[in-house]
Amino acid sequence: MTTAVDPRFHLAWFKSFTPHDWRGPWAGPEDREWMNGDSHVDFLQALERARFDFLMLEDSLMVSDTYAGTAEASLAQGGYAPKGDPALLASMLLSETTRIGVIATMSSTFVPPWLLARTSATIDHLSGGRFGWNCVTSSENRAAQNFGMDALPPHDERYERAAEYVDLVKQLWDSWEDGALVMDEETNTYVDHTKVRPIHFEGRWHRSRGPLNLMRPPQGHPVICQAGGSPAGKAFAAANADVLLALPKGLADMKRYRDDIRELAVEAGRDPDDIKVMFIVSPILADTDEEARELQALMNANAEAKIKAQMVNWSATMEIDFSRFDLDEPLPDDASTNGHQSTLSTFRKFAAGRTLREAFTAYRTESIEVVGSPATAADVLQEAMEFVGGDGFLIMGGTTNRRYVHEITDGLVPELQRRGLVRTEYAGAHLRDHLREF
Amino acid sequence: MSADMFHLGWFGSFIPTTWTTGWDGTDAARWMDGKFYVDKVRTLERACFDFILFEDSSMVSDVYGGSSEATLKRGGWAPKGDPVALAPILARATERIGISVTMSTSFYPPWMLARSVATLDHMSRGRIGWNIVTSSEDLAAKNFGMDALPPHDERYARADEFVDLVTQLWDSWDADALVMDRERGVYVDHTKVRPIDFVGKYYKSRGPLNTLRPPQGRPVLTQAGGSPAGRQFASRYADMVMALPKGVPAMKEYRDDIRMRVAAEGRDPDRTKVMFVVSPILGETHQHALDRKAAKDEAVRQHPEGQLIGWSGSMEIDFSRFDLDKPLPDDVQTNGHQSTLANFRKWANGRTLREACVAYRTESMELIGTPDEVAAQMDEAMQEVGGDGFLIWNQPHNRRYIGEIADGLVPALQKRGLMRTGYGHEHFRDNLLEF
Ligand SMILES: Cc1cc2nc3c(=O)[nH]c(=O)nc-3n(C[C@H](O)[C@H](O)[C@H](O)COP(=O)(O)O)c2cc1C
Ligand SMILES: Cc1cc2nc3c(=O)[nH]c(=O)nc-3n(C[C@H](O)[C@H](O)[C@H](O)COP(=O)(O)O)c2cc1C
Repeated sequence: MTTAVDPRFHLAWFKSFTPHDWRGPWAGPEDREWMNGDSHVDFLQALERARFDFLMLEDSLMVSDTYAGTAEASLAQGGYAPKGDPALLASMLLSETTRIGVIATMSSTFVPPWLLARTSATIDHLSGGRFGWNCVTSSENRAAQNFGMDALPPHDERYERAAEYVDLVKQLWDSWEDGALVMDEETNTYVDHTKVRPIHFEGRWHRSRGPLNLMRPPQGHPVICQAGGSPAGKAFAAANADVLLALPKGLADMKRYRDDIRELAVEAGRDPDDIKVMFIVSPILADTDEEARELQALMNANAEAKIKAQMVNWSATMEIDFSRFDLDEPLPDDASTNGHQSTLSTFRKFAAGRTLREAFTAYRTESIEVVGSPATAADVLQEAMEFVGGDGFLIMGGTTNRRYVHEITDGLVPELQRRGLVRTEYAGAHLRDHLREF
Repeated sequence: MSADMFHLGWFGSFIPTTWTTGWDGTDAARWMDGKFYVDKVRTLERACFDFILFEDSSMVSDVYGGSSEATLKRGGWAPKGDPVALAPILARATERIGISVTMSTSFYPPWMLARSVATLDHMSRGRIGWNIVTSSEDLAAKNFGMDALPPHDERYARADEFVDLVTQLWDSWDADALVMDRERGVYVDHTKVRPIDFVGKYYKSRGPLNTLRPPQGRPVLTQAGGSPAGRQFASRYADMVMALPKGVPAMKEYRDDIRMRVAAEGRDPDRTKVMFVVSPILGETHQHALDRKAAKDEAVRQHPEGQLIGWSGSMEIDFSRFDLDKPLPDDVQTNGHQSTLANFRKWANGRTLREACVAYRTESMELIGTPDEVAAQMDEAMQEVGGDGFLIWNQPHNRRYIGEIADGLVPALQKRGLMRTGYGHEHFRDNLLEF
């Protein structure tokens, strides 16, 4: 007898606590008060209706002025800043939903570990176990300078620190046993102190006596998410993460990436099924495939703007001033970064043999191209998952407006549901339950 | 004649509710889902409170009896949730009431604090306050990788620089930086966003912040330091000072002192409100209220540990070692909290520890009686003191007590014209400065 493999995969969305689309034809009424969270609440409720696993809120901690040596382009574009604190938005969003998870980014380089452990534990309690932490090490010296340092620690050292940091944070969460809250009227005991212990953590980079001043989170450990693609980043993820966000290009690299992570997980003594690898896609949808292609062509037609937007973004995360480069030459060999190393190396590979202009025109932040009617898009996703083996997709809408969100949640998702490829109901209560459901 | 209208705030923590009083409902098992707090803040908004304020601390105290047993058994210092993470939910559940959260200058990175508070101010549409504390426990410092806190006055020197830096970060975006010019494709005008290049004695930050200027420009700053250094700090920055002087003359003196210091800093003293902590005991009749107080006192006499744990934590002296029916021995010493200990001895004035526990009040004045009687007592006190209002400290921490204040005391105050019946403004500070 053969047991059928569950064909389902996971869906999540990638977003910042930044304004939604404000310029496009479907931007909706002008919203200068997006920081009150209203539009994000609507957005998350739509994703919950479509039974997404989670929304992931990225973060950064600076206003970039790398591109052409000024913040002009970056602020005019409005992608990096203004940006609100994602952990606080997560708390609000979770209070307006009941099943979907929210993952917020917090930097192991800048947030004191005790504070992070407590804030995450609090939000996990408030949401009944639906919170996750995207552990990043940060990539920008500009951010370090906001926190009183001159520069970031070197790339690989950041991951060494992060490994110790995660260890400490987990110990703080574990410093209260499950069931410490006893509420025993007979002995007048609210918390059993024998189940709460100091941790006396003395690491190379971090120290904390503990215990935390709060009960163990409902999930035990809130979900840990990670997105590092460098060797150091991957090793860290394999040892610590429940979910991985990844951007390898094309099916072969996707498969290699996932197999790699699963192997590293086994080496780290973990069940590889406990780590889900989510690949970034930015579907372009329309009534027909032909219309979708036209839409894509329209997007690429404004190549100058597209190239500039990409260069401004990468100037921020890589702290390389892309405005210095000749667009009609290839990427210079000596361009290097202490920031997103894996992104740069993926791009270098992608751009081989092309001028920068060609490379940027063709480049999209996605693992595979998904363009077409909902049925065609579903075919592409289905085939990709069959080839790669899992585990799902992270949607990154270049311009997030209500129309685009509903194209995904009310067009693509029902098509995937009809094929039995994504869930139609939540089974578990916690975010980790969703991730481990299949 | 009656006093001018005054302000009411609520002072509390993100902690469990009562669970052994007979009026506990089910919240003590579920308080971490936040629903009790949502109901509470809505009730207070209905009652037109200026604000709710959350104190905070960062440790599990184990001074009393050399173990965390007593404090955890009763639930005092811990468990305690992060009030900053609760605030977005409370903000969304309300429209007018202010929400002030405690964050320590000794533990937060300033840039992070500036952004979190700015975010909360946006989420609440201009209703956030930051209660500035420097923290007082070495045990908390150890959780943050330090061996001990910096010395008392240095903590205020650091706090001074910290607030200066945070304020500059909020100011690093002009109010009109957001232009949203679709035609030119300009979301933010970069000429209205500037690095601050702050280099102080204790802190450095390049800036700018990465988020829009908070709706209030500067979120409301609240403070409670009672030492000379604490008061001086408050006079430079605070919109509201929480105070615990004992008795009406001391309240007046405290407020006059703050106002004088504020004026000496070149600020308008009417723009710093001084609010006094109280825990009114209400009853159907005067006698009923007295009976409730007597019952409360008797409960403390039988079980004084709650108070002793509190003192153990804050003075870092193990009070479990002493005979309850004798005064505190003369040879007891403390490292860091000498003035607190000295004040305690002076106040205890030969009382046995048990009787000291009964007599001790975390409040500026006793308020006991029917709602109307208590309203009259508050009226009288405010006439003497000159302003600016009271912070109700929830004792006991349950729905019944909140209801007694919101639906008993508040209407009595409103009838006398002592309390607002609606909010005049959208922002926290504007409401605080309304009268
Ligand atoms: C989907 C995705 C989301 C990311 N989100 C963040 C983020 O919110 N903040 C951040 O500082 N870095 C973020 N990164 C960067 C990663 O943490 C990591 O630094 C980057 O992928 C480069 O990998 P490496 O650090 O191993 O070189 C993200 C990366 C990806 C692919
Ligand atoms: C009403 C009130 C509330 C307070 N809230 C806090 C708090 O939440 N966290 C904290 O660490 N200290 C808190 N404190 C302590 C004060 O910040 C301050 O340290 C204390 O009043 C002693 O004054 P000093 O610091 O000037 O010596 C509070 C004090 C009072 C009177």
